[in-house]
Amino acid sequence: MELRRYIIRRLIQIAIIFYVILTVLFLLFRLAPGDPVSRMVDPTMTPEDAQRLISQLGLDQPIWVQYLYYVKNFFTGNFGHSFHYGKPVVEIIWDRLPNTVLLFTTSIILSALVGVFLGKIASWHKGKATDAVLTIGALVTHTVFLPWLALIMIWLFGYKMGWFPITGMISEEVWLDPESGIFAKALDVAHHMVLPLSTLFLIHFGAYLLIMRSSMLETLKEDYIITARAKGLSEKVIRDKHAAPNAALPVVTSVGLSLAFSINGGALTETVFTWPGIGRELVFSVSHNDYPLAQASFLLIAIVVLLANLVVDVLYAYLDPRIRY
Amino acid sequence: MAGSVQKRAGFKGAFLEGWEIFKESLLGRIGLTLILIFALMAVASFIPPMIDPMYHPMHGVDPEISFSTGPSLRHWLGTDFMGRDILSQLLAGARVAFMVGVSAAFMSIFLGTSIGMIAGYMGKAVDTMLMRLADMIMVMPTLLVVLILSSLFGQLNIWTIVLIIALFRWPGVSRVIRSQTLSLKTRPFIEAARVAGASHFRIIFRHIMPNVLPLSFLYMTFRVTSAIIIEAALAFLGFGDPGTVSWGMMLQWVWKTGHMFKAPYWLLPPGICISLITLSFYMLGRAMDEVLDPRLRKEADAS
Amino acid sequence: MKKQYGKLLVLLWAGLLAWIGILTGSARAASILKVGLLEEPKTLNVWLASDTWSRKVLGQIYQPLYVREPKELKLIPWLAESQPQYDPQKICYTVRLRKANWSDGTELTSEDVAFTGNFIKEFKVPRYYSKWRFIDRIETPDPRTVKFYLKEPRAIFLGRTLTTPIAQKKQWEKVAVQLRKAEKPIASLMKTKIEKPIGSGPFHLRQWKQGAYLYLCRNEHFFAQGKSIEGMTLGPHLDGIIFKLFGTSDAAILALKKGSIDMFWWGIQPGYLQDLKNNPNIQLFYSEKSALYYMGFNVRRPPFSDATLRRAIATLIDKDFIVNRILQGNAIKMHSIVPPGNRFWYCPDVPKYGEGLTKEERIKKAFEMLKGAGYTWEVPPLKPDGAIQPAKGIKLPDGSPMARFTILTPPADYDPNRAMAGMMIQEWLRMVGMPAFAKPMAFGSLIQQVKVRRKFDAFILGYGRLSLDPDYLRAFFHSRNNRVRGWNMSGYTNPEFDRLADLSAKAMDVQERRRLIWEMQRIIMRDVPYIPLYNPKLIEGVRKGKFEGWVQMLGGIGNVWTFCNLREK
Repeated sequence: MELRRYIIRRLIQIAIIFYVILTVLFLLFRLAPGDPVSRMVDPTMTPEDAQRLISQLGLDQPIWVQYLYYVKNFFTGNFGHSFHYGKPVVEIIWDRLPNTVLLFTTSIILSALVGVFLGKIASWHKGKATDAVLTIGALVTHTVFLPWLALIMIWLFGYKMGWFPITGMISEEVWLDPESGIFAKALDVAHHMVLPLSTLFLIHFGAYLLIMRSSMLETLKEDYIITARAKGLSEKVIRDKHAAPNAALPVVTSVGLSLAFSINGGALTETVFTWPGIGRELVFSVSHNDYPLAQASFLLIAIVVLLANLVVDVLYAYLDPRIRY
Repeated sequence: MAGSVQKRAGFKGAFLEGWEIFKESLLGRIGLTLILIFALMAVASFIPPMIDPMYHPMHGVDPEISFSTGPSLRHWLGTDFMGRDILSQLLAGARVAFMVGVSAAFMSIFLGTSIGMIAGYMGKAVDTMLMRLADMIMVMPTLLVVLILSSLFGQLNIWTIVLIIALFRWPGVSRVIRSQTLSLKTRPFIEAARVAGASHFRIIFRHIMPNVLPLSFLYMTFRVTSAIIIEAALAFLGFGDPGTVSWGMMLQWVWKTGHMFKAPYWLLPPGICISLITLSFYMLGRAMDEVLDPRLRKEADAS
Repeated sequence: MKKQYGKLLVLLWAGLLAWIGILTGSARAASILKVGLLEEPKTLNVWLASDTWSRKVLGQIYQPLYVREPKELKLIPWLAESQPQYDPQKICYTVRLRKANWSDGTELTSEDVAFTGNFIKEFKVPRYYSKWRFIDRIETPDPRTVKFYLKEPRAIFLGRTLTTPIAQKKQWEKVAVQLRKAEKPIASLMKTKIEKPIGSGPFHLRQWKQGAYLYLCRNEHFFAQGKSIEGMTLGPHLDGIIFKLFGTSDAAILALKKGSIDMFWWGIQPGYLQDLKNNPNIQLFYSEKSALYYMGFNVRRPPFSDATLRRAIATLIDKDFIVNRILQGNAIKMHSIVPPGNRFWYCPDVPKYGEGLTKEERIKKAFEMLKGAGYTWEVPPLKPDGAIQPAKGIKLPDGSPMARFTILTPPADYDPNRAMAGMMIQEWLRMVGMPAFAKPMAFGSLIQQVKVRRKFDAFILGYGRLSLDPDYLRAFFHSRNNRVRGWNMSGYTNPEFDRLADLSAKAMDVQERRRLIWEMQRIIMRDVPYIPLYNPKLIEGVRKGKFEGWVQMLGGIGNVWTFCNLREK
């Protein structure tokens, strides 16, 4: 009951926050100098052409009318047409979204699993060489500059070794071949995903390892672990069955809290590897003054971050009965 | 009054005590050494242009070299695509990194600490409003926000970038400071000050601030890291201040001019520098964390 | 616990793959050319396609009545059968069409041509309307004859109007009906999506996999198939073209080296050249472009209302530095607005400021010019003994100090060369004490500032694709275009120039028009509202082994001739 009330309260808060973001974004995009029509630099585009386009795209209406349209359109799921592609924004986003989700979730889950596993080991060997190697390794990979790491990956594994493709997510050889089945296609995507995935993985797993390690050390001092030890359970059982599941909780929270950070990284990775996802589309639309597309991608990211925070909070409240808000 | 003086003396003592613990930490020592090396680089960045104008990082070009060359006696790290010296660019980059990192961190810590203290001390509506604002800003991916702003309002100069980073990086700090303030608020010496008729302003800045400052400094090291990373990423994507030579800018040049595969002497140094300076501030932060977190300290005493 | 995670992951993966889409495979043909592109084409709607990538693809699909041949760049009949017949009395051109078919097999008739023209006029299609608005009416006496009646003689009719791509009536009729109903026809046109464009070119679209590739198949109905035009036996001899999207030059060049593409259809940056030159499998083509990169001034207000100051700046700018260092030698210096590669219209005897001077000589010369016009300094750039010194406090002839001014450039992410050139020009101007500040600006804001608000001092811009017809001279400098969103961004006004420009627009005699265009170039280069800087060279790379028959022309090897002539070795 209490949990439900909590969720409802958080949902209302999120709705308000989101509405504020929506409005701020609108104001920002309208305040900015430069309209998409100005960008069409082509000596054959006459001032009359430009004026006609501006009025037909609705850019010459008073700002509050534009705002009302904007809000109305948003709630009817109409994000307008991309100035650049001339297609509905929703269509473009729908097209790019699965690619981002694929790369992003795979990298987060993988790095969280590995981070938890290695963090457990590090804490178990606290003060020994294994611990030092793991901790330092985690620190280094966590703080390495992501775009540079991506470039190094490309240089080393794409160029020097030539093992992996360095751009895009499918190769036409496989996808145009009538003989290649779903398995071959999946394999092709996986092949393309190796480099961006490992880049994101390397950046993220260190943070999870460090959190898991210190959380494990805390947990091992809890009373129930001492009780378990007193009962004469083996160290392995204590570690894997009793301590680890509880210690992993902060990792779950940090996945949610560091989401903004991960999204920055995701956008950079997608840009360097030209992975056709939302992050790359956002960077691209931003540099092409494609207002509707940039707005929609940013709003989507905001929604995802807000909801993810909610999910993490709820999950945390659910998993750890000691915490109630 | 008396309480506050005592507190400040305690602060100094705590600092010395903290230094003792800090010295023991390997991470802290490594971090501090690295930071000192980078600081030396930043200072040294003034030297090359004095030797010869061709070593100016931005517009000094070697009169005989108009393309990228590998390391040589004249150019220890080689030259970039138009014959500029990479070493002097690298040194100038250290200066920019410190400037961006420290000033953005300082501003965001100042904001975060003030807002956190005010929210915690005032409570009620002020608290709710400020904290919801913090929530909102906290979930924003800073890089993408700065990216959108810089594309909307033209290429930003380095100080605007610093300011925007600061404006978006305070909420984390203010949350921590707020909860610290909440616990301080109930302490007798604050109550005493209030009874003595001290104004809110005075209580916040004279009595609460000295007690939360160490925590603020801890967060400052982490903010330095994130500011440097954001500036570098921005410059890497081509949205940086073109009048400054930062490490991110150098990476952008090597990437965009197509020298990535053939000029490792140009690709490696800036990336290593960004990563190392981030790492060093991070290590410093963790070492300070150990100093400030009593629970971890206890654990260290036990073992 | 762990097993469940594993299952979840697999499930997630499978679901996502299904979402990403499983497509029906297409038959694999024998000789397919693989072309690397940098970015995704924006659209396949030919009237919306303003980006190079869409044009590269649509250029294989939509064809005009006349095209330029590769050697002399003269207009030759393409969908048309012969040169147009001109009747000066009625101001009417008659064009005979070849027998040609659309890629869906139906015949291409005069109806389609008339429809295209009327469509552009009716809906005021941006960028094309200005080329068609002076057409009074179009008649189609029979399916192979089109008559264009002009309201007045127009020089651009041949070079600009008749090179408009022809669209199929059958496909666009439906769109036209929709547009007539729409409240905002142009906006609706911009939103019209064309899934399968039907054209008359050598190839037609088979499949577009967003974010990955476009697959074009050979058009069995292509009219020039087997014909011999310009000494080439046209095919297409290829079964198809795959346009592969790369996103970065790194990836595309790596693919070229590995052989997974046969051609990279984009200029290769200097950094890659050495490596590619040494590669025995790669052939490089160095072509000229019809492009113009220049510095423009706001001549409406001081300080740049003074032509002497502009000439002094033109003298101070070291074009050799820009070309050799910033562009790595892969460009040519520009001395006039018309690129030298456009040999017929390029005027060779315009003043060449600062040509061949050293840095000291430039400063001296600029100093003399400015001193002569009444400029003074607190500390002049030349010491009494003639040695150079850092100048300070330049004052205008009226005695007021020169206010700091900004040179707007596109941002580094958009064009690093122009941003860098801006920084360098700033340094050169400071040598004589001018308070210059280069300021890179987001592209949209820059254009807004220069074209709409018109509050600026100077800027650096460029056109990567300047048309071969020099009518743009009129657009750039005619005083009529000195208005909000007009193309006369400098605000240049000169009645003499206006007169020549108006004459040139109506001159139907080519030699006469050339004389006028040359005179216009001389006037502009005397008054320098624009300082032309450079014209980048285009370096393109292809694989040697598999295909032969690349046709090089102004603008590179990516042209309809190459794709019609290319064959497997």
